[in-house]
Amino acid sequence: MIDYKSERVMYYKVLVGLLLLTAVTFVLPYLFEAGANLPAQMFIAVIKAWLILMFYMHLKGEKLISVMGIFSLAIVLVFFIIVLVVDVANFQFKDESHITAPQHTTTGVTENVAAPVKH
Amino acid sequence: MAHEYIPEISTDRDGNEHVVQGWQDDFYGGKLGFWLFMFTEVLMFGAMFLVLTYYNMLHPADFVTASASLNRFLGGTNTVILLVSALTMGLSLLKMRAGDVKGAKLMIWATIILALMFLSIKAVEWTAEYNHGVFLGLDALQSGNAHSKPFGEILFFGMYFTMTGIHGFHIIIGIGLMVWLLKRINAGKVSPEHHILHWNIALYWDIVHLIWVFVFPYFYMIGAASGGTGGH
Amino acid sequence: MSKSYFDETHCAIGHPKSTFMQWMLTVDHKRIGLMYAAVMFTFFFIAVSTALLMRFELFAPGQQFIDGDTFNQAFTLHGVIMIFLFIVPGIPAVFGNIVMPLMIGAKDVSFPRLNWFTFWLYIFGSAIAIASLFTDAGFADTGWTFYAPYSLNTGTNVIFTLVAAFVLGMASILTGLNFLVTIHRLRAPGMTFFKMPLFVWGIYATAWIQLLATPVVGITLILAIMEKYFGIGIFDPSKGGDPVLFEHLFWIYSHPAVYLMILPAFGIMSEIIPVFSRREIFGYRTIALSSASIAGIGYLVWGHHLYTSGMADIAKTVFSLLTFFVAIPTGIKFYDWIATMYKGKIILSTPMLWAMGTIITFAIGGLTGVTIAMIGVDIHLQDTYYTVAHFHYAMLGGVVFLFFAGMHYWFPLVTGKMYDESKAKIAFYMQFVGFNLLWFPMFIAGFLGMPRRYFDYLPEFQIYHQFSFFGALLFIAGLVFMFWVFYKGWTKGEKVGPNPWHATTLEWHMPTSPPPLENHSKVPYVDFDPYEYHHGEPVVKFDYETMRRID
Repeated sequence: MIDYKSERVMYYKVLVGLLLLTAVTFVLPYLFEAGANLPAQMFIAVIKAWLILMFYMHLKGEKLISVMGIFSLAIVLVFFIIVLVVDVANFQFKDESHITAPQHTTTGVTENVAAPVKH
Repeated sequence: MAHEYIPEISTDRDGNEHVVQGWQDDFYGGKLGFWLFMFTEVLMFGAMFLVLTYYNMLHPADFVTASASLNRFLGGTNTVILLVSALTMGLSLLKMRAGDVKGAKLMIWATIILALMFLSIKAVEWTAEYNHGVFLGLDALQSGNAHSKPFGEILFFGMYFTMTGIHGFHIIIGIGLMVWLLKRINAGKVSPEHHILHWNIALYWDIVHLIWVFVFPYFYMIGAASGGTGGH
Repeated sequence: MSKSYFDETHCAIGHPKSTFMQWMLTVDHKRIGLMYAAVMFTFFFIAVSTALLMRFELFAPGQQFIDGDTFNQAFTLHGVIMIFLFIVPGIPAVFGNIVMPLMIGAKDVSFPRLNWFTFWLYIFGSAIAIASLFTDAGFADTGWTFYAPYSLNTGTNVIFTLVAAFVLGMASILTGLNFLVTIHRLRAPGMTFFKMPLFVWGIYATAWIQLLATPVVGITLILAIMEKYFGIGIFDPSKGGDPVLFEHLFWIYSHPAVYLMILPAFGIMSEIIPVFSRREIFGYRTIALSSASIAGIGYLVWGHHLYTSGMADIAKTVFSLLTFFVAIPTGIKFYDWIATMYKGKIILSTPMLWAMGTIITFAIGGLTGVTIAMIGVDIHLQDTYYTVAHFHYAMLGGVVFLFFAGMHYWFPLVTGKMYDESKAKIAFYMQFVGFNLLWFPMFIAGFLGMPRRYFDYLPEFQIYHQFSFFGALLFIAGLVFMFWVFYKGWTKGEKVGPNPWHATTLEWHMPTSPPPLENHSKVPYVDFDPYEYHHGEPVVKFDYETMRRID
């Protein structure tokens, strides 16, 4: 049996932290260029995820589960590195490929580029 | 299987006794199993983020344009709702562990209501997008016609509807699980002494939140600077 | 007479009176394993018949019995059944269920009801796959890989097959999850990771692949379904989607999946070799850790399926390099097995024959795999019969041969009876000769340019196809004969005690034969290595009533 009153303080503290970080995500786009915005957003997301994992999901002190989790994330990371950094970043057919140079190949798209973007 | 489980004892050659871990009443085993399940969720959404990043690398400008047209006001509201619901779910588990079954049930009800709010807002958002002609199957997201959007935007919206849709599906499953949990609590199967089910469903709700923590900025925020908050 | 697991069981829901319902609702890991085996081999024979149909068609150039479209559906059906219904669940679902909990001294798996649910999920998935045979559109004709964009455009019923593969993937994930928790939580006291039998190591490494690779293909199939129904554009080049990305995602799972098939098979090999050499296994730790490293490296090599797909050159080079690394832990295992046999007291029983046959066939399958890991060679041999022969040598000559070896090895454990050894040996020789006659000519035909999945061919390839045909007949005859020997053994076989092979691992230390419902009468304390032999006799002996050591 645990003491509810003393434990719940931590939950509220984490909530405040998460809300503040969410507020930060709304400010970031105006601070960074489009290219740097995404990494910055993901960085904030990682901090939020860490807070949730450690405190809401009680991962703190769970050695075996943490190691397994790190292993799983490492595998995802490897997929990202191989597919994105090794393969797509070195895509050799950018100029010829239908999927990367659409405006020269399909008529529908060319018209749309000129049309105003709806909001 | 209803009877009280008494762990077996095994004896080594020197006569020392060792308690055997059985599959019954294995709290840590249940928790470990659920974490393993959550890793599969991570891999699943990891693969979808891989697809998203793949096309983001090929069409960065289109992605910013498409993202700018999303409704950041509703998306942000949903983020806060999920955040608060993670708190209520956590508190319900806390109350359960502290022996306050009634309080725990109230907090689960609060979580269900927040989840329903999340889904309603999602519905409003999708309806607005549908009315603007941006939805799976509509002309704007098909190729080769007068309304076709550029490739990058088609792919952005394709993944947007797929990923938020699959996330929404997880929310619906979560609501189902919570209703089931309430039934189990009422039946006395989940109690302060035996709360593995409650623990795991709380974990499930956290992973659903965790996925949204990444889905939200990737879709809504990359084009925020050029789009305001209004969206469709 | 004491009761075995055939006489009584625990059920998932209630306690039904009828024997049939008791089997349907059973949560006993041994019964579930047996039911998996029954269903799986039914599908196996369907797929074998499809393959035989294709062999008949390919006996001569031109059209004989079926037209080209039917041929496409036939090889798809063969691939889908063999991969998703037979070989991927394969050894983990059958022997992982039956033997693994016995080996670690557990009463059952960690989540017995989940195990029951998983079995029925598997049946459900299989039913969906088979159902598409009877729909108007007909079975998918894409090959088991469902490559986009053809799978998005074809008029056949691909959706059913995709959904089936997804459901079967979920079953596979849940099996892996269950086994991981079981191995972490339910090992008998004293049994550390390095005191586990090597089959359990194989299952452990496999379970990680099942758990972490299958979700990727699951979501890929979901995306393909979304693509087909809603046109999200992800794999459709007319909307900017990239089919190469589909191949990436597909092989991110499907390449680790081949290690998922072979690792438990290697585990069976590591059980059989020391028992029939009456010698402690050579290099226990290297075999255990090579299983883990094969599983690890296996995640990094999927790109060697994409050499001709338009991937970046640098990526091809990286994948080629990484692929060679897989051969190292596999080689270590082979040397360890052969070193175990050296100066051993080798007993050529049927399981040992199968194991030794596999050393030959898998070595051929493995080494030909190394040749096509080279980019230049692969450009020539991609999608030829050479590749087909390679993976059949590795899959059929590796995984399935060892599956059969395991079936002979654990037959007395599961049934309490013994099959006719001399007939079983004849069945082995028929299959071994038939197998090589069937597949070896394909290496030559492929090298000379015979492409795979073709329904017609040039006359100069006829001789190879005809050799293959007769090999196939011999192989299938041996296969049928083997199952007949099993059937005879089960119905009329001689009763043998709990440990007919003089093996050392815990599954052979049962109070009765076949094992009782909740396994060992008491959980033993494990303070010994799994394969301890002294002068050709097992070292560790138990009193089967109290499970205390008496040696």
